[in-house]
Amino acid sequence: MRRLLLARLAQSLIVVAVVTTVSFFVIRLAPGDPFNYASPRVTEQVREQWRHQFGYDQPLVVQFARYLGSVARGRLGYSFSLHQSVADVLKEALPRTLLLTGLSLALSFAIGIAVGVTQAARRGTWFDRITSGVLLLFYSLPDFWAALMILLLFARWIPIFPAGNMVDAMHDYMPPLRAFWDSLRHLVLPVASLTLLTTASIARYQRAAMLETLPSDFVRTARAKGVSERAILWRHALRTALTPMVTLAGLFLPALLGGALFIEKVYAWPGMGYVAANAIAGRDYDLVVATVIVGSLLVVVGNLLADLLHMAIDPRVRA
Amino acid sequence: MRRLVAHPTGRWAIAVIVLLAVSAIVGPWLTSYTGVEQLDIVALKNAPPSWAHPFGTDQYSRDLLARVLRGARISLLVSLLAVTLSIVLGATWGLIAGYFGGVLDTVMMRVIDAFLSIPRVLLLVALMTVLEQVPLWLLVLLLGGTGWFGVSRLVRAETLSAREQPYVEAARALGASHTRILLQHLLPNVAAPLIVAATLSIGNTIVLEAGLSFLGVGAREPTPSWGSVFLGAVESYAGNWWAVLFPGLAIVVTALAFNMLGDALRDVLDPRQVHLAHRLPDSATALPVVQRDPRPTAAV
Amino acid sequence: MRKPFSLLVASIAAAACGGDTTSARGDAAAGGTMIVATVGDPVHLLPPLVSDFAGKSVQDLVYDKLAEVGPDLNSIGDAGFTPHLAKSWTWAPDSMSIAFAIDPRARWHDGKPVLAEDVRYAFQAFTDPKLGSPNGPGLANIDSIQVRDSLTAVAWFRKRSPSQFYDVAYQLIPIPRHVYDSLAIDRLQTADAARQIVGSGPFRLVKWEPNVRIEVIADTANYRGRPKLDRVIFSVVPDANVGLTQVLTQQADFVETTPPDQVSSLDSSKVARALPLTSSGYTFAGFNQHAPGSNSAPHPIFGDIRVRRALSMGVDRAAMLRNVFGANGRLGRGPFPMTHAVADSTIRVPAYDTAAAMALLDSAGWRVGPDGMRAKNGQPLRFTMLTPTTSLLRKAYAVLLQEQFRKLGARADVDIVDNQVFTERTTKGAFDMALTSFFTDPGAAGFSQNWGTAGIGGHGQNTLRYSNRAVDALLDSAATSFDPAKTRAFARRAFQQIADDAPAIWLYDVVQVAAINRRLNPGLIRPDGWAVDMANWSVDPARRIDRDRIGLGGATP
Repeated sequence: MRRLLLARLAQSLIVVAVVTTVSFFVIRLAPGDPFNYASPRVTEQVREQWRHQFGYDQPLVVQFARYLGSVARGRLGYSFSLHQSVADVLKEALPRTLLLTGLSLALSFAIGIAVGVTQAARRGTWFDRITSGVLLLFYSLPDFWAALMILLLFARWIPIFPAGNMVDAMHDYMPPLRAFWDSLRHLVLPVASLTLLTTASIARYQRAAMLETLPSDFVRTARAKGVSERAILWRHALRTALTPMVTLAGLFLPALLGGALFIEKVYAWPGMGYVAANAIAGRDYDLVVATVIVGSLLVVVGNLLADLLHMAIDPRVRA
Repeated sequence: MRRLVAHPTGRWAIAVIVLLAVSAIVGPWLTSYTGVEQLDIVALKNAPPSWAHPFGTDQYSRDLLARVLRGARISLLVSLLAVTLSIVLGATWGLIAGYFGGVLDTVMMRVIDAFLSIPRVLLLVALMTVLEQVPLWLLVLLLGGTGWFGVSRLVRAETLSAREQPYVEAARALGASHTRILLQHLLPNVAAPLIVAATLSIGNTIVLEAGLSFLGVGAREPTPSWGSVFLGAVESYAGNWWAVLFPGLAIVVTALAFNMLGDALRDVLDPRQVHLAHRLPDSATALPVVQRDPRPTAAV
Repeated sequence: MRKPFSLLVASIAAAACGGDTTSARGDAAAGGTMIVATVGDPVHLLPPLVSDFAGKSVQDLVYDKLAEVGPDLNSIGDAGFTPHLAKSWTWAPDSMSIAFAIDPRARWHDGKPVLAEDVRYAFQAFTDPKLGSPNGPGLANIDSIQVRDSLTAVAWFRKRSPSQFYDVAYQLIPIPRHVYDSLAIDRLQTADAARQIVGSGPFRLVKWEPNVRIEVIADTANYRGRPKLDRVIFSVVPDANVGLTQVLTQQADFVETTPPDQVSSLDSSKVARALPLTSSGYTFAGFNQHAPGSNSAPHPIFGDIRVRRALSMGVDRAAMLRNVFGANGRLGRGPFPMTHAVADSTIRVPAYDTAAAMALLDSAGWRVGPDGMRAKNGQPLRFTMLTPTTSLLRKAYAVLLQEQFRKLGARADVDIVDNQVFTERTTKGAFDMALTSFFTDPGAAGFSQNWGTAGIGGHGQNTLRYSNRAVDALLDSAATSFDPAKTRAFARRAFQQIADDAPAIWLYDVVQVAAINRRLNPGLIRPDGWAVDMANWSVDPARRIDRDRIGLGGATP
């Protein structure tokens, strides 16, 4: 077991290293550099001078060696578009994305599981059919379209919620209770957009998983023993049907990080997705590579955890 | 096929898809406009729906009905080709990994892990940024080339369990070559979940292509792929509900139809297994089958 | 507690500078908070490194110049300039130097006095090649800044030129030496300390959260009196549509650009209204005069002036203007914006005439083939048209032009690329046609950068590689003439020659319609920056809202 863990860990690290290297070279292959501002004053000469000053005119391999050296010393580089060290940028952006995706994940799992179980309990009824249809519809919506529609609907046409950003511009001047309320109000639409689609996915899974578990032997035994239908559903069957959910949670991580990309862009939520998209567009090399490192680390860790949990929960699966 | 038609949602799905296919093929001949020409950029800009222009016109006075119909062709074609490519790549990779096992399997799966750890959208945006403008055939390659990772996992898992079957052992004992075993014995086993995954992928790919156009890295003007038609509407969302609604509706209805078909197919072909062949919020990867029981048992 | 104190300071200051009536400030109706929804964060806020419009807006609030240019943007001599940091100046008899007397009341935001050595330090920062300031070349005519005494800075020039005074007063912005000189000059671009900007303007920086928000607050001890507003917050939004939404819902008070299709929604809004801004930009569809990637070979298609003129004649510029801008557009008249001092409305550009255009293409050898497209010696009339993703207006024009060209038998492939790629390809000459916007500084010297031979290559912005010796001479004469009438005459001849060479199709003058909250009274709007007179922007006292009542208090911890 221990050897397996170490082996997986080593493999994961190799994966991260490879992904980092590839992204390092790919982003530098894209035309442009961090200094291509569309400005009436900046001439090519000025750009060349800046490029030389920061070493971007050196051969790629040399740049890579220098980058590895500085990473080894714990310095992830400097972000030109955000005028901070990359570490500072990530320190702020990562928690914001985790807040958004964490909340959405928790909500969608809670709601999704509840809906799925309820559907399984009432399988075949009109409730089941209509819910399935609605879920299928949400599941088929393009995420950027849904996010845009929600923004338009609730921030422009019926202005209940703020249109984008994480906090109001006057947030620092609000008394603590009002500030908290302000943060909450800004969370609602992005979390709702992200949750909408994920919930549909999870509910569908859960329903299928439940439907498969309900005919099992142990359920029949429990029913024969006189356990209430409710207890069967929510305690016995659910526990077994939860196993694929666990794996799902781990595997949702890259998807959630990527899905948050659209949502963060539409709502100007300053998290990892927003930062990464802007960094690519602005050719902010060090920042791009750093976001890739963090992203792949998260995913690899998520996969690892999911597999470990799976092994722990389900004794039949000891791959 | 009969069972599919008998299936309640399956019927609807097939009907919608047939309708889509017909309109994609025949549609462009039904309107007298090409969807590319700008009819009158001053007077007919953003004209609301009317008899002459049932879907209205866009900001360049192009007939939207013509654009949506032609867009159907492009979106469907691109998605079908891309998904076919994904299936072929993923099935090959997964079969080989699952069949031969051992170190080869581990290495191949770690490679898949590496690719899966990058969100597909981000990968596509990065690639398209490097390549600048992308013609349609390259778009097909990119979409197909980034969509096979999950398929390979699915196929590998199925292959792992299938290769222990007695008839496989028998075939090997009879001296059948690896290729023969792979193609004739193992592939049919995988076919069912593969078809389901493929169908679900088509809907996802159409949505993904629209999303890429939304991010500005999709098909070139004046090509009316649904994504770029939708983007044009969004960029001037001054309340032209017809420009936003019709292409958006087209995308949603198509994705819905394919998803319904996928569900129906799964019910018909493969009711036993809990397939995690669903779409995640951004990617079009089909996830692996999580076999609750690696060896088929009788009880369930 | 702080409010009465600031009023006290303000009244003392008002009493002290009783003679200063250039801008009436420091009255009791002061106050208010304005939130600006801005698309894009400034690249840098330190004046030597300010290179984009977002940065310039903030710079206009935080920094003060030696003298402020007049509303007509005259840059010849010192006519129309108002004393700011320099309370007076003296020309040497031979005009090779100007001595500026710094106002003894001027203070940096940290309280230290503004001294002549700050001007000298700024000059060093602007011109040191190690820093690579993009604004340095504008100071090329200044030889050095001499500190005659603590409050007198003398600018020595290499030669006499009409824009001598303008170069120093408008382009050389003093920065506090005592704050930055502990850093090596080339570290200024990345050092944290260089982001804590300290100026002497009407507002001082409170906080800069990159890509999120910039907050500036009124400098109540300012020697020119405190500004009317308490505070201005620049809040970053992803695009102009969200910015407009925020203004319409009163989340923000000002957004610089309203998409043309949405201007009408402002008329029916109770909260906001439309405010047309003048700007110094103009947009054109330029033909690359050279073959892509080459510095000498003429472009295979556009090297022929007949093709350029034919394509210019064959497009309906007025109709395209109507489509994109509705009624608010301003048609391009030539290689200049109509807001410029030397602009001229009598320049003749090719008139819209498709028949003549087709005839001209035929005579140039481009014959129509069976598919409706033209070709010459087997080579089709096909080329790419480059435009950046960030400009909705240029994207619209690209699609419209594509169709107009198609009717003429020319096939244009539209390349919509992101800003990085656009800048890279236009600088390297790797394009056929490019939709470009130029923004011109006051004064005639800027035109050589854009249309002169010297502007080709690394030193200027002549991305079309247009070169005409006669134009070079005329633009040079315009830049060195001390007589405004002569300047205009030279410029007119240069412009007409450029227009006759048809290196581009002149599309439109950049006209921006801002959306502003109805309770705000804006000050003077100048083409070179909407924020230059921010000290005079105020809130209507009868229509104050919550955020106006906060006063100058600090943020809640």
